[in-house]
Amino acid sequence: MNIVRSIFRNPPLLTLTLVVAVWVIASLTLRGFGNYGHLRYLLELASVIGIAAAGQTLVVLMGGIDLSVGAIITVTAILLPLISPAWDPTGLVGIALALVIATCIGLFNGAGAAFLRVPPIIMTLAMATFLQGLLVIVAGGSAVTVSNPAVILLGQSRPFGIPAGILLWAVVSIFVLVLIHRMPIGARFLAIGANPLAARLSGVSLTRNTLLLYSLSGLFAGIAGVLVLGMNRQGYVGIGDPYLLTSIAAVVLGGTSILGGRGTYAGTIPGAILLVTTTALITVVNASPGWRSIMFGGLILSLLLISGRETRR
Amino acid sequence: MTVISSSDRLYRAIQGRRNRGLGGLYLVVAAFVVLYAILFPGILSMGGFAKFTQNWFPLALVAMAQALMMLTGGISLAIGPLVSLGAVIAATTMGGSLGVVGGVAAVALTGLAIGAVTGVIVAHLRLPAIIVTLAGSFIVTGVALILLPRPGGFIPDWLSDALAGHTPTAFLLLGLILLMWKAFLATPLGLGIYAAGDNPVGAFRSGIPVERTKVVAFAVSGLLACLAGLFVAAQTGSGDPIIGTPFTLNSIAAAVLGGVGFLGGKGTMRGAICGSLLLSVMINVMFFLGFPPVAQYVAQGLIIVSAVAVPELIHAWRAKR
Repeated sequence: MNIVRSIFRNPPLLTLTLVVAVWVIASLTLRGFGNYGHLRYLLELASVIGIAAAGQTLVVLMGGIDLSVGAIITVTAILLPLISPAWDPTGLVGIALALVIATCIGLFNGAGAAFLRVPPIIMTLAMATFLQGLLVIVAGGSAVTVSNPAVILLGQSRPFGIPAGILLWAVVSIFVLVLIHRMPIGARFLAIGANPLAARLSGVSLTRNTLLLYSLSGLFAGIAGVLVLGMNRQGYVGIGDPYLLTSIAAVVLGGTSILGGRGTYAGTIPGAILLVTTTALITVVNASPGWRSIMFGGLILSLLLISGRETRR
Repeated sequence: MTVISSSDRLYRAIQGRRNRGLGGLYLVVAAFVVLYAILFPGILSMGGFAKFTQNWFPLALVAMAQALMMLTGGISLAIGPLVSLGAVIAATTMGGSLGVVGGVAAVALTGLAIGAVTGVIVAHLRLPAIIVTLAGSFIVTGVALILLPRPGGFIPDWLSDALAGHTPTAFLLLGLILLMWKAFLATPLGLGIYAAGDNPVGAFRSGIPVERTKVVAFAVSGLLACLAGLFVAAQTGSGDPIIGTPFTLNSIAAAVLGGVGFLGGKGTMRGAICGSLLLSVMINVMFFLGFPPVAQYVAQGLIIVSAVAVPELIHAWRAKR
């Protein structure tokens, strides 16, 4: 009884328990679900959401929200093949350029929030709208195929039988967890999220941290974009759209308060896996697109009712 | 006597504060409308005016729906799907045994019901509105897709003519809805929306049923969004399960342009209406000047940011002096 209660009081653990429960039940009832290959595939899909949600977790912890994640993923996935220089056989220069662009977009978001005092939700929404228009003008609306060897390697290779995407996700996870829980800057983010005024009076620079935070969010969205491109081999307008809502949902499912100041990336990780598992189960049921959409929304809602509730006032 | 005069003074002070930021907006809107009338004199004829207000009307409705949500301290990401659902229900029911009256009732009831359910989840189960409406947008989209997988359905011609013909019915309807909003604001429940959004704890201690107020606000918001869908269906003569998608973003943009704040209790309906008018004029002007639709996205992004940033910067500049 005590164990049950402590699980319910610890959202990351609760989400992890849900994932394990769903995986065990689904493996016992559905043939092929519990295969090592299938579970590995689910994790590979979750890694994109997880990496995009890494930036989102940081932003939400600081009391903001980033609605431009999907647009930045699309920008990276479309621009990377176009700007990869032909003289570079490894393709790393192209990746670096694309990540710099993604980080700069994030920096612009931060600048808007910090200097122009535009609320983050509006700034990032406007940025997403702006990028959407710009992309169609730049790329002309057609899909671009990637030939950058480093990107393809990232999307297809399996060192020690583990997809490179999952390894990348593991690296990002460790980095973010250390950043939030073991570094002064993480403490500053949490302090700003909990009470911006108190944080500022204690000598925490709002401007600098906001700029840094949104740049990081842009960078992580960019990394997710590179990974998506590697897995799909093609970039097109709209490729990043699904990741906007799922990144926010993963953060909230992981027990991070949307109001800021409370939460951890350790909850977002099982949150992302849970989302992908849900989508996979819905696909198994073989329903029409309408019913699939209803089930997805309904499941997110019911999962939120279990794990995402704000405390009573 | 003294009580009345002091409450009168308080009312004036609050209205004055709410109006302060709007003066500039009224000027900008007026300038844009005049510019539009000079560029396209056709708007001054009866038919031109009717067509112009018909393009504006659904945007005004969703701006009101979004402003209502923002006044309670939330935000809705399900406005677009609700517009689609309203259009789909109108197009599937009006040809059947329910007829036009039944169809309108079905649309209105659906909007009220979905809004109320969302409100109950947000207010009583204490989930953030942005997440609930996010999940809700999937469910509503799904329902619309099941009811009408492909664009189609049927709207009687006379209804399309009446709502979206050559008479400015839409403008009159908008005036009517604004009057009803004014009457609603005069009731304790309507006043409670501002109070509950601005300071929920204070409102609760003053005896306002905060939860019930929120549920009502959500229900009315859902109703407005679905009615916008009904109008869009009448305009196009058929239903389309994804026709409402752009309205989510545009409703937020219009409300923000109109000076409605995100934290609840800040802003006015007249501001939101002006914001939607401004947005509608700008979209029309860009369309007629031959901008490609994608350039509209770019311009819209810039406009939204500057709409919020410019007043803030002016404020900061004044404070520094």
